[in-house]
Amino acid sequence: MSAPVLPLSPPASLHGVQRLLAGLFPDSEAPGTETPLELTSADPQPARLISAMIIEDGELRAREVEGEVDANFVAFLDGTQSSLVARYQRGGVPIVLGTVAAVIRERRERRLYTWRHVVERRLYVPRAQVSASVWQRFTSTGLEVRDIADDDNQSAAEHPLAMREAAVHRVQKDRERAEQSLALEWCRSEERYLFVDGPISGTEPVAHAQCAVGVVKTHRTLYASGEALSRVLSLGHGERSSVFLVTSPKRAPVASWYLRIRDPRGQEPMWALLRVEVSPSGVTGAEVTRRADEVSRWILAEAAPVSLPDGRWDKMVYGVRDCEEFLRAIV
Amino acid sequence: MTQPLENHHSELQIPRSARDDRVDPLGRVVATERKPNTPHEFHFWTALDSPVGIGTIVRVEGTQPVNGQLPEIYGIVVEGFSYTDLATPLHDMLGHDGTPGGASLSATQRAEIRLYTAAVLRQVPEEPLQPVPMGTVYLADDHDVAVALRMDGYLKEGSNTGIPIGVYRAGASDSVIYVDADFLIGPEAAHLNISGVSGLATKTSAIEWTLSSIFAHFPQSKGSVAAVCFNVKGPDLCFLDQPGTIDDADRALYEKCRVPATPFEHVKYFAPYKSDGFSLNTLRSNDALLHNVSSLTWGLREVLQYAEVLLNKDDVDAKADALIDFIRERIVDREFSDPLLGNRRYLVRSFADLETWFRDVLSALEGKNGEGWRSHHIATIRKVRNRLSNISTRCAGLVTDDGAVSDLPFGSFEDRTVYVIDVASLEEDAQDLIFARVVTKLREHLEKRDLGVNHVVVFVDELNKYAPHDGQETYVRKMLLDLAERGRYLGLVLFSAQQFRSQVHRRVVGNSGTALYGRMDSDELATPGYAVLSPAVKTKLATLDKGQLMVRHPHFTQPIFVRFPRPAVMRGRDGAERYPQATDLDIDAAVLRSLRSLDPSITLGWVRDAVGIREEDEILRARNATLRERPADVRKFFLAQLRPVVASQAAPRPQAAAIRSAPADDPYGF
Repeated sequence: MSAPVLPLSPPASLHGVQRLLAGLFPDSEAPGTETPLELTSADPQPARLISAMIIEDGELRAREVEGEVDANFVAFLDGTQSSLVARYQRGGVPIVLGTVAAVIRERRERRLYTWRHVVERRLYVPRAQVSASVWQRFTSTGLEVRDIADDDNQSAAEHPLAMREAAVHRVQKDRERAEQSLALEWCRSEERYLFVDGPISGTEPVAHAQCAVGVVKTHRTLYASGEALSRVLSLGHGERSSVFLVTSPKRAPVASWYLRIRDPRGQEPMWALLRVEVSPSGVTGAEVTRRADEVSRWILAEAAPVSLPDGRWDKMVYGVRDCEEFLRAIV
Repeated sequence: MTQPLENHHSELQIPRSARDDRVDPLGRVVATERKPNTPHEFHFWTALDSPVGIGTIVRVEGTQPVNGQLPEIYGIVVEGFSYTDLATPLHDMLGHDGTPGGASLSATQRAEIRLYTAAVLRQVPEEPLQPVPMGTVYLADDHDVAVALRMDGYLKEGSNTGIPIGVYRAGASDSVIYVDADFLIGPEAAHLNISGVSGLATKTSAIEWTLSSIFAHFPQSKGSVAAVCFNVKGPDLCFLDQPGTIDDADRALYEKCRVPATPFEHVKYFAPYKSDGFSLNTLRSNDALLHNVSSLTWGLREVLQYAEVLLNKDDVDAKADALIDFIRERIVDREFSDPLLGNRRYLVRSFADLETWFRDVLSALEGKNGEGWRSHHIATIRKVRNRLSNISTRCAGLVTDDGAVSDLPFGSFEDRTVYVIDVASLEEDAQDLIFARVVTKLREHLEKRDLGVNHVVVFVDELNKYAPHDGQETYVRKMLLDLAERGRYLGLVLFSAQQFRSQVHRRVVGNSGTALYGRMDSDELATPGYAVLSPAVKTKLATLDKGQLMVRHPHFTQPIFVRFPRPAVMRGRDGAERYPQATDLDIDAAVLRSLRSLDPSITLGWVRDAVGIREEDEILRARNATLRERPADVRKFFLAQLRPVVASQAAPRPQAAAIRSAPADDPYGF
């Protein structure tokens, strides 16, 4: 579970934090820019192909989604993050103000309303690069302070850029945690279906919940190679791949398949291509096909209205865009 | 008589603290750099299903104290916007593959906003005047409406000068909108003007409703008030004393406004005769309704005072004017003699007398081959004779040759009484003459404080005809301008109506403190006079339903939309069907009808016996005298006005000489 939501006061804005830090650390320096680090940091995850265990058809092939599209999702979950350097300590140590937020927007009478949301702001500081007294002063700001080094990244490099990227990575983890906490809350109280923007494998209970469906838009990792990959990238509108099992040492296993939600003709291969994750519990035999077609029909029903003018409108369903707009408005 | 109601707006005395504080917010104020709030305008958004519309009054509660007081801002919605998160319509079309029917299949509706712009009605505190702050927006309740429209100033105890003009409706609440009697009847401001397209009966209905409201609520402390209405078209105002058809919704509005849902109790009608001189020239000529209809006839003296109404500038040059003055000062109602006329004594009291006098003067001049008399050239005399003689022809029925006068009861006007003058069937000249003389007499009596009432509301319809913004200057227009600009000091108030406000003289409508607008024509709304209204308000004005008005009043910083009930009086059209106009009568029946209003026992047989074979002029003179005197013994007085008729006697037959009888013995008779 993520940390409890902090009160928005004091201080809530970047400038407020900067003023506070400037007061606490007069010798610190202003960053000179307010560009979120997410826009300047390189994606740490390399593009890769991973083979997965096929649990439908014996091999990965294209299947037409059977049946009429049917909107059965009642809520959408998405999160957002923002990492901004508030000050630089002497020696180029970046002090990052990280903001993460997540929301579930429930659909009632075809309109979306907030079911629950969280907003968290923290200072991300490389503890190894500051003295104990300085760390103590950070904690006096009223903001939660988090070391950018975590279990995955015990020794953040001294390179300022590496420290910034580590901070972004840590903020991302907090964002995922915020999303997962909301998803978990939904799954504990609801049986209706939740559309989760992103994977659901991060939390065991959510990954095993029947009500949560994860939809992944980015494909840095593709679970196919060779001819199978070719079939995935050649999926037509309303076609899905065979179902496969995604497993990871640090993540819960999920049943997954690729789905093309729009006509890709004239577009790049991954245009309008989604990867769907559902709980693997009970998804065996003929049930695999029935379940994959059923969920695919739900997702295809979300193809309208389109999420333009968002550049990812080919893959982004409108409910997720609405979540993003909501978070943009409140963060 | 309708009595003013006491404590009619006690519900507005509810202290603020007693109000229900659990009211849900309606919206929130928003402002951006591109669309900022100002001291006179602000923006707010609402839920999609909120009961807000153009004309809704709202209250904003600020959160930052100003001078130690949380600001409250009152506004009225003047514009509305709705949009979604679509960047371009093309995106929506693409999203549905160009198939409009697909839109309904969309599982989610786009995020949508209702954004409104409100014009500030009032800020509390009023100083310092600041841009409207961010805050929560609430639907205005009764108290808010009173404060927003500054009605609290004249509805408070000790003032109570509110006159209900209608009900403002928003959501589930109704609030009575009051105008200030001091600004409607005077003396602070005065006059009321109403515009609206024809055919909806809104203008006449609104005036009738407003008069009812004034009669019910005009404070006793302000004195008495009466109304003089000119019925200029059809039977519009001919049945003000007859009950009309109203429904439960109307009754509720009457009850809310505390105005009796009854026709006017005291109405007196006046109409000239037709050219025959004895049939009333009005649609209210049905026998059943004649009890309060009086004739309106004027003689030479009355008309000569207003000769310039009927004589245009081409007619009346300085020379003619001088002759008319001479006649007015030296001839009319005075014994006059002149050597030119052989020292014959003239007493000119009627057009007939004047015609005789003119004829003798001109004959004498022609006889002497003279070109002038008493500095007046013979051509001028001919011209004035021609024009003045023509008046009795042009205004036949109103102007009598015999000088008989039947007039409004100047000097004994009664409180809360409507005096209707039916000029609908008259020629334009006669209408102008009546209008000019009546208003002038009202003004004269009000100046002398001897009219009988302290305030008179004069209602004139078709104002664009009587006070057009263009065209030549006329006496009537000058008089209307004078009335609009100075009448309020006297208690003479102009209620006027027209279809197109833009076609009325600006000074007349400009001096109307209160303006009402019914449904307006789009072309009219495009004229510069409406430039201050937002497009949404114009759209609302162009689609107003019957019974809806937009009100401007000096206390209201923005126009307000109200509903008013149908008048509780019979509509003109209904009245004309229920009480058909009497067919033209012979003179005996006409006299009977007139005298019966004084003595119901008189019969047609008695009248026929009384008038016998007398000339019409003599009969009408007797009738007019009787009506004027209203004697206790009508029969005796009427008979006394008729010249005695010598009883006819059979001529004695001449005695014929007896025929001598033939001798018995003369066989040939010789």
